[in-house]
Amino acid sequence: MSFLHIENLTRTYTVHDTSFVGVDNISLTINKGEFLSIVGHSGSGKTTLISIIGGILKPTSGRVLLEGTDICTLDDNRLSEYRVNRIGFMFQFASLLPILTAKENVLLPGIFSPGKNVADDKAAVDLLEMVGIGEKADSYPSQLSGGQQRRVAIARALLNKPDIILADEPTGDLDEETEAEIMNLFEGINQKHGVTIILITHNLNLAGKAQKKLRMSKGRLVDI
Amino acid sequence: MAQLSFFSVALKNLKRKTFRTGVLVFAIALLVSLLIFAISFTVSVASSLKKSSERLGADLVVVPVGARGFAEEFLLESKNTSFYMPISINEKVKKIEGIEAMTHHTYLSSISGLCCDIMPTRIVAFNPATDFIINPWLQKSLGRPLQLGEAIAGFGTSENLGLGLLDIEATIFDNRFSIVGVLEETGTGLDHALFMTEENLKNIIESGKSPLKEGNISIIFTKIKKGYDPDYVGRVLEGEIPEVDVIARSDMGEKFLNTLADINKIFLLTTFLASVLTTFLVWAIFSAIANERSKEIGIMRALGAKESHIVHLYLVEVTVLGLLGSTIGVLAGTYMSALLTGSFSLLKNISAGLSGGQQATIALIGLLVGTTICITGAMMPINRIKKMEPLLVIKEE
Repeated sequence: MSFLHIENLTRTYTVHDTSFVGVDNISLTINKGEFLSIVGHSGSGKTTLISIIGGILKPTSGRVLLEGTDICTLDDNRLSEYRVNRIGFMFQFASLLPILTAKENVLLPGIFSPGKNVADDKAAVDLLEMVGIGEKADSYPSQLSGGQQRRVAIARALLNKPDIILADEPTGDLDEETEAEIMNLFEGINQKHGVTIILITHNLNLAGKAQKKLRMSKGRLVDI
Repeated sequence: MAQLSFFSVALKNLKRKTFRTGVLVFAIALLVSLLIFAISFTVSVASSLKKSSERLGADLVVVPVGARGFAEEFLLESKNTSFYMPISINEKVKKIEGIEAMTHHTYLSSISGLCCDIMPTRIVAFNPATDFIINPWLQKSLGRPLQLGEAIAGFGTSENLGLGLLDIEATIFDNRFSIVGVLEETGTGLDHALFMTEENLKNIIESGKSPLKEGNISIIFTKIKKGYDPDYVGRVLEGEIPEVDVIARSDMGEKFLNTLADINKIFLLTTFLASVLTTFLVWAIFSAIANERSKEIGIMRALGAKESHIVHLYLVEVTVLGLLGSTIGVLAGTYMSALLTGSFSLLKNISAGLSGGQQATIALIGLLVGTTICITGAMMPINRIKKMEPLLVIKEE
């Protein structure tokens, strides 16, 4: 049984009586511990694809099988459990809650998974140290640089020890140096912890760092 | 340091915009304080009237025809009024079927001047042989019957007369009296009277300084035999003896209760309008909050928050807000009730007050109503918040 299998996945949108295809009949298999990058222009369907994989969007047709379980058939509660327990999300913008400190932001997914062992302050600080900003644990997002905020988001994505990290252009607005540091972090997490990473970017250099590189165009995968 | 929890996130959300939180807390506090004041006012008046009529211990009160209002003012409001009827009425009342026991009082007002050396006060003369109103109070406070030339002050009268000390001498209508004690507070209008036995009245009448004539009494208290309907016996009394009016225990303070019903309507309308306004304010503010925080809610949903988690988070926030506002409202309303009691003659005259249990119940009602209104106002925006699509957030940027 493959780790993550995507089968004939299609997602169409209707806006003002006009239908268009976001993801067009995609099939794909991803192995456990793989580091995969997907490149493509804006509107090519990259975000739609990882949103369906991440369980925050339902496909129009097709299946997403994670270790044999079709996540597209799960109800809202089961999907939330899937997201909190198996997925670590990183968005294409700073996605921290401004009222929480870096440490509290890292701990946030923990309050949505009461069944798991409750993560404590130490776990959050350890994760922040792992991403290199342990000393900023009590700082608020407004006191952090863009790169530091991304690191907090990576630490938060790792809190519940996910199987897959879905990163949607996580370095979009960062300078080259910080971008490289964040990519190194992803590589380290993938290699040391065996976490599957699906990275979306339109930067071909970054995409090249992944073990497997895919390109999307008009909702379809090309150049596999 | 405490773990991150829904409660701590809700508190941080409340602190985020302190002015807005303050406005909401103030609105809820205002509503609850109004509610607490209205309930306290109504309950204290109604229960004080009930207690007063119960403490008198009479099922029916017989007064001269047309003196019903005066009698209620005397017995409940401590007003200084005089009304008389011939003592022969006693015999007529005795003949009515269903009367078990009866006793009469004669009321007299002392006057300032050479005849009296105390402030104008109300004098109640009673017959110790038949009395069932004053005797129990007397037994409790003095432990023996009053003698000739002795008087005992009601609880409020002792303050008015500036007694404080026992065994002082006073001249009333040229008769010397030894004031031998002070009765315990009864919560009736009689707290403001000076009590003496009927045989003292003869000397007062003989002095010729009082307006009282021999053979006059003011009021007859009756107890009804078991199995008889007091209202029915009262109607028979009024039918058989045209010279009297009868007040049943349940009708005592009817004038007050009618006034109270009108005041209640105003309270009800004001509280209803305040509730609608507060609900609308909470709805408007939480709708704004839903829009402001849509991105954060989307992030939380993407991180694994269920719809129920989002509802939980905002319910905690709105409940804390409601409880905070309601608690302030309960304290303010209770303080306002205590402060304004002196300003309402309706409350001043009937020695209204609430027991600890009544106050606790009213406070609980205030907390419940304030919090419920807060939650009700926020429910619609919260239901909208929970449906937020996480992907919309990701696409937003």
